[in-house]
Amino acid sequence: MSSRLEAEHLYKVFGRRPQDAVKRLEQGTDRDELREDGTTAAVIDASFRVEPGEIFVVMGLSGSGKSTLLRMLNGLLEPTSGHVSFEGENLTALGDRELRAVRANKISMVFQHFALFPHRSVRENAAYGLAVQGVPRAERERRAGEALALCGLAGWEDSWPDELSGGMQQRVGLARALATDADLLLMDESFSALDPLIRRDMQDQLLELQKTLKKTIVFITHDLNEAMRLGDRIAVMRDGRIVQTGTAEDILVRPANDYVASFTRDVDRSRVLTAGAVMDPETQGDEADCDCPTATPDSPFTELCALSARVPHAVAVLDEDGELVGVVPSRRLLGFLGDRQGDPESCTGSHDAHTARGGKVTAGA
Amino acid sequence: MPRIQLGDWVDDGVSWLVDHMSWLFDAIKTVVEGLYDGIDAVLTAPEPLLLAGILAVAAWWLRGLVAGVLAFAGFALVDSMALWDKAMSTLSLVLVATLIALVISIPLGIWAARSRTVSAVVRPVLDLLQTMPSMVLLIPAILFFGMGVPAGVVATLIFALAPGVRMTELGIRQVDAELVEAAEAFGTPPRDTLLRVQLPLALPTIMAGVNQVIMLGLSMVVIAGMVGTGGLGGAVNEAIGQLDIGLGFEAGLGIVVLAIYLDRMTGALGAQISPLGRRAAAKARTAGNAKVWNHRPSPAMALAGVLVLALVAGGLGVFGSSAQDSRATGTDVGQGKKVTIGYIPWDEGIATTFLWKELLEERGFDVTTTQYAAGPLYTGLATGQIDFQTDSWLPVTHAEYWKKYGDQLEDLGKWYGPTSLELAVPSYVKGVDSLADLKGQSSKFKGRIVGIEPSAGMMGLLKDKVLGEYGLGDEYQVVDGSTPAMLAELKRAYAKKEPIAVTLWSPHWAYSDYDLKKLKDPKGAWGKGDGVHTLAREGFADDNPEVGAWLKDFSMTEEQLTGLEAGIQRAGKGSEQDAVRTWLKKNPGLAEKWAPTGAGEGKTGANGVSNN
Repeated sequence: MSSRLEAEHLYKVFGRRPQDAVKRLEQGTDRDELREDGTTAAVIDASFRVEPGEIFVVMGLSGSGKSTLLRMLNGLLEPTSGHVSFEGENLTALGDRELRAVRANKISMVFQHFALFPHRSVRENAAYGLAVQGVPRAERERRAGEALALCGLAGWEDSWPDELSGGMQQRVGLARALATDADLLLMDESFSALDPLIRRDMQDQLLELQKTLKKTIVFITHDLNEAMRLGDRIAVMRDGRIVQTGTAEDILVRPANDYVASFTRDVDRSRVLTAGAVMDPETQGDEADCDCPTATPDSPFTELCALSARVPHAVAVLDEDGELVGVVPSRRLLGFLGDRQGDPESCTGSHDAHTARGGKVTAGA
Repeated sequence: MPRIQLGDWVDDGVSWLVDHMSWLFDAIKTVVEGLYDGIDAVLTAPEPLLLAGILAVAAWWLRGLVAGVLAFAGFALVDSMALWDKAMSTLSLVLVATLIALVISIPLGIWAARSRTVSAVVRPVLDLLQTMPSMVLLIPAILFFGMGVPAGVVATLIFALAPGVRMTELGIRQVDAELVEAAEAFGTPPRDTLLRVQLPLALPTIMAGVNQVIMLGLSMVVIAGMVGTGGLGGAVNEAIGQLDIGLGFEAGLGIVVLAIYLDRMTGALGAQISPLGRRAAAKARTAGNAKVWNHRPSPAMALAGVLVLALVAGGLGVFGSSAQDSRATGTDVGQGKKVTIGYIPWDEGIATTFLWKELLEERGFDVTTTQYAAGPLYTGLATGQIDFQTDSWLPVTHAEYWKKYGDQLEDLGKWYGPTSLELAVPSYVKGVDSLADLKGQSSKFKGRIVGIEPSAGMMGLLKDKVLGEYGLGDEYQVVDGSTPAMLAELKRAYAKKEPIAVTLWSPHWAYSDYDLKKLKDPKGAWGKGDGVHTLAREGFADDNPEVGAWLKDFSMTEEQLTGLEAGIQRAGKGSEQDAVRTWLKKNPGLAEKWAPTGAGEGKTGANGVSNN
């Protein structure tokens, strides 16, 4: 089965003669050289696939081109080169009218600053996409009501956007996106404008909704913690290029370069890492022989710490079948909590001074 | 530096337009006149106080009880100053100009908001239209559309266009880009994005633009009055022309009432029709306190109120119309034929114009009188929009106009003469009795001779010939201004017994009000005296043989003229015709002598009939 959303070699160049700029970029010209000529390469050679039901997070600092990338996915910006296909349809080849139809029916979007229409009630806002589709009033109000209820806003239908708190406004934004039954949800820094507690609530709610709705979601953020919490897979962008794509643990444990590594420094590792990522797979086989409590590869880092404090030796990690797959000595825990990937450094020839690379990694979501 | 003949090109361009595009201007003129007549007919149909009531209910609905009461009081004041018809014609003019301005400016503003090129092209054009002195635009407007409402509307329109375009563009550009993007992200077609998102959100700004358009239109009304649009602007011009401060203030106050009403109403209407404004109002209501004077009737109630008042107004209008119009009591020679008299606000002109208005109306003509400056008056006569005028000083003072338009005019002969032009000084200025005495005395007069309108014939004569003849050119500066300004200056100096030299002419009432010396002109530099002629448009005498004959035979003695002038001066502005009537009553037989009907030879004379 083909992937649901596919981006191939996307380029977006602003300024004069963008096609030439793409050629030069392909030949290896640096982005900064182009900038001297007054052209800005916002996205360079971005390729990725998003599977159905997956949350794909694009992470990068401001100016890294992530928002530009997102807008090429639904055709708000036309790629300078490359193409986007969704459910086998090449969006880049569509005319304006067909593109609008795709946006109205298949792709919806949630914005950073909510972008609610201040002159429409909450219900009318949630029903906006349906109104564009031409759904009759009664039906669109019913479906908008359902979407609002799903987002926890039942009873607020007749309020106005300016009466709601930021978090509630973004729930309306989410309801507006969900009401159209679009399969693809583009979320542009959707939770960045919310304060931390509300942001966590919204993240939880999105994950909760996703369990039942199984939408395909592309989520843009500049916050790696958020990326790690939400993303099934994460693409890290820098200066217009995707520098690494992988799961949260891939990024954290095996950063592709120093840039990504420097990013992960501030991440709360204890929330992301699991026993599977931390354990030393090279076992002697007897660690699980005592009656001490053991962990599974999915055990979160915090649980490992608790276990490690209670058992006198390294914590054993058993898979579903009860087979020993690895051990976690307490020193290893401390090492992973810091910004060092892999092993703690040791003095001379300690027995656990082996690389953790190649260890089994489980998804952290 | 080579002289760039920009002015010539503009001249050529304007004449080309006049020659080749007249069909277009005629079409525009027809549309504008139709609109104006329609709106004016609606506004003047009901009784003034009823319409004031309707307008007050609208104010109550949009802004509350206090606004309603004040609106009614304001309009009642206008009515009590006997300016109602003028106010309504001004209101019609402004409404027509606003309507057309919006039809042009809102689409243009939308276009400019969507295209940087259009915006870049439109902006300097708007700057030009808005900052070019309006008189400069007014003269071509007369050439294209003739005197009257269309020229006034077009001049107002051009002046008022800019804020409409600018505010529309600004309003649309100001709409949050994320909202527009959101609309697009949900697949909204561009037209719906405009209609459902951008325009509703830009509406408060656009309404501010509409408000500006109306305000600029109103401020232009006075200037438009110079091209014979009548209304309050015309009244202000007339009042200024005749140094009638009181009437000027009243008419000005009428404009203020209109301006405040329109300003507040468009502001409130903006809040009413824009969804954001309604939202804000609803919020204020829930937050604030509901007091009686804040109570506003619902739209349905307001509409019902307006309807009831309108019906009553319509009903009264039906009964009222039959009660009016019992005017033609003398012998009906004119049978309702329309005659248009134009006049310059000079005393002999006013006196004879209203004399003939009275005489002709007595004889069944439908007479309109309009005040103009000399230039437009001759233009209007030459183009046939004015039938005749009684105040042409020939052959000297108005020589230039005669040279330009003489072959398109009919001279119906001199009715008074000879006149004289002179410089005058108060008699308390000793030692200055003749023009030659002015030499070496410039310090006494601060080197100034207070003149009148620079377009007046005698001003050219003074500057080009008289000063040179007596060698005064280096010593004295002739101050351009206006007749009323000159008279005001004379009055001020006279009260303080300061030396002053002014341009004056005989006959003039100033000689009876003040003790003045006419400076002798031993060299005859002012030329021989003029005769005051009646000029008619080409063909007027053929179209109206009786009137033509009456005007040809018309003449007045100095005693009759000054007597009539004094009577009008006493009666005051707005009662000229009453003064004429009173004066005719005191001088029986004159009416029949000047405009013999043959039939009305009764003892009392046709003029003795009261019309009240």
